[in-house]
Amino acid sequence: MFKKGILVGLLTILSIIIMFGFTAGNHLVYADEPDYTISTDATYPPFDFQDKNNQYVGIDQDILKEIAKREHFTYTLKLMSFTSAAQLVANEQADGIIAGMAITEERKAVYDHSTPYYKTGVAWIVKKGSKIKSLKDLKGKTVALKTGTAASEYGKSLQTKYGFNVKYFNDTDTMYNDVAVGNSAATFEDMPVIQYAIKNGVKLKVMNADHPGNAGWYGFFVKKGENQALLSAFNRGFAAIKKDGTYDKIVAKYLGANQSTFTGAKKDNFSIWGILKANKSAFLKGLWQTITLTFLGIILASIWGVVLGVMGVSQNKFVRGVSTMIIYIFRGLPLMVLAFFIYIGLPGVIGAKIPAFTAGVLTLVLNEGAYTGAFVRGGFEAVEAGQMEAARSLGLPYRTAMRRVIMPQGLKIMVPSFINQFIITLKDTSILSAIGLLELTQTGSLIVARNSQGFRVWAIVAIMYLIIITLLTWFSNWAQKKLQ
Amino acid sequence: MSEAQVKVHVDKVNKSYGENHVLRDISLDIAENEVVVMIGPSGSGKSTFLRMLNQLETPDNGTIIVDGYDISDKNTDINKVRENIGMVFQNFNLFNNYTVLENIMLAPVELKKLDKVAAEKKARELLETVGLSDKADMPVSSLSGGQKQRIAIARALAMTPDIMLFDEPTSALDPEMVGDVLDVMKNLAESGMTMIIVTHEMGFAKQVADRVVFFESGKIQESGTPDQVFDAPKNERLQEFLSKVTHA
Repeated sequence: MFKKGILVGLLTILSIIIMFGFTAGNHLVYADEPDYTISTDATYPPFDFQDKNNQYVGIDQDILKEIAKREHFTYTLKLMSFTSAAQLVANEQADGIIAGMAITEERKAVYDHSTPYYKTGVAWIVKKGSKIKSLKDLKGKTVALKTGTAASEYGKSLQTKYGFNVKYFNDTDTMYNDVAVGNSAATFEDMPVIQYAIKNGVKLKVMNADHPGNAGWYGFFVKKGENQALLSAFNRGFAAIKKDGTYDKIVAKYLGANQSTFTGAKKDNFSIWGILKANKSAFLKGLWQTITLTFLGIILASIWGVVLGVMGVSQNKFVRGVSTMIIYIFRGLPLMVLAFFIYIGLPGVIGAKIPAFTAGVLTLVLNEGAYTGAFVRGGFEAVEAGQMEAARSLGLPYRTAMRRVIMPQGLKIMVPSFINQFIITLKDTSILSAIGLLELTQTGSLIVARNSQGFRVWAIVAIMYLIIITLLTWFSNWAQKKLQ
Repeated sequence: MSEAQVKVHVDKVNKSYGENHVLRDISLDIAENEVVVMIGPSGSGKSTFLRMLNQLETPDNGTIIVDGYDISDKNTDINKVRENIGMVFQNFNLFNNYTVLENIMLAPVELKKLDKVAAEKKARELLETVGLSDKADMPVSSLSGGQKQRIAIARALAMTPDIMLFDEPTSALDPEMVGDVLDVMKNLAESGMTMIIVTHEMGFAKQVADRVVFFESGKIQESGTPDQVFDAPKNERLQEFLSKVTHA
């Protein structure tokens, strides 16, 4: 009875979240305008980035917006790391991708691409004032590359010839920063991207401005053979904006711009208080998302964990086995792998899109729930065997004995583990930034991407986490005292 | 003895843990109102035998009939049978998450034998018989071992059992506590309760037992009245055992 009650409750809450997630993911669609899901790189200025008003802007974004307007379609943006964004299209979780994505032979095998919309080439870049003069000087040094980009492939192709080591990064800013602080000696990046960054104060230097490597073109991509209507619409729209000069205006707007246009006044970026003020709404939204994820994660993972723990001490061998197996699998999977699997992998199999928020909560519940299940089972087992024997000897059935004697004692043993797990859950929400959830960490990444104030922004984010953790700890200790 | 008087009937019961054959072909009948004390060296199988009588251990084969229920039959509702068999453990096993009173009331209320008011009334009466009325609202952790064991007896009695099993009830007690617990047991025996007791208290066995059963190497080596067993032991191993415990 008791176990069933919990299960039913859990399923109800889960389905509410999933339904809520599905509805929240959709928005108003007009019957005559097709609605597409377009994935993009969350941090790739000047092509894709978030401005001081939390709007996604950049050359890519403005082109897309303009074309959508002229071709009468609407779209929902999915902001992720570049590789995840590209995978979303390959797995049909998104209809198209615009993310400063170069047209390469390899990509042609998987995707169909639009008319090339921007000419690019690869720059090789060192720290300002570096003693490195040519690629030959990189021998034995470390070169920072961003996973999955054309620029990184170009860099990798030179590795053997020049004998450098490679270190991979998932986002542009961390990669720049690694070179700027001298951890890596050089990096490879698309020419317009690095030029924009340097113009905006990143302390790096382009070594081959006149001779970009591997010159090529950026394109808009759809999965090969799919979404041809979207592709044609893009091509038609692009031809139109190119013809009437809108395209040139867009490019000039970003490449001619100062950082302050998009990130706010310079003085705001040189104090923690200024950054906090300039990005107040972004931080608050991120904070709220983190709190929501943590709260739902803690509640649902605890319920699921107790269910697993109770199953783990069941009299039925099969039920015990199921519990052990679930705990083994989900405790064994790294949280990020699980998040990617649910968000990017699963929809292809079940044939329905899973909103990022739902995927995030589900990830937390499965992962934290498995850890919780393990210590709940352990807590029940830690109750002296004699307690169960005494209860059974009085004629109490197994379930009654569990509920009235073993569980109350076991739960008391588990209280510190629960508090610990709550704090871990809060910290683990930051990993969900990988699937594009705009929680505190992802918010930090986006802000750093536009203002390059890594130290100040991450200090703010760190303090915010500490504040929530402190509140959570206080609350837990208060609850613990109440229980004793 | 006639069929109606037999409370416990055990026939050719065996039990092994892997290679270790702890009970070998045990057969034993116990009559209503009888007090049987089981003695023997550690590991002789007497505790395992006792725990089989309410199925805390299951026999590998053989028949066990308690109170007319065949508990070696899988279809028997063991919970129903256990309601009529009280058990007292060496380590008391009071429920740590309840007060003294709650410990005694839990089973009668949960199993709907009594409503709360009646259960509390009965619990307080039982506390009085074991001489611990003043401890009713204490958490069990605040009690001494002797007090805990007397509460454990009261808890078992709250279900109004007709058989009581005692598994070395005084072995974990400080010597000065033993007397109080044995007094409670003596009163219980005098009131006509059917009791099966595993103990090392030979003096107590002499005083209250109707029959003493000597276990050794998983077998009943000898049984009889206390006079027969203690004063004229026939079995060589029993003689050896008695000489050890009386000279210890």
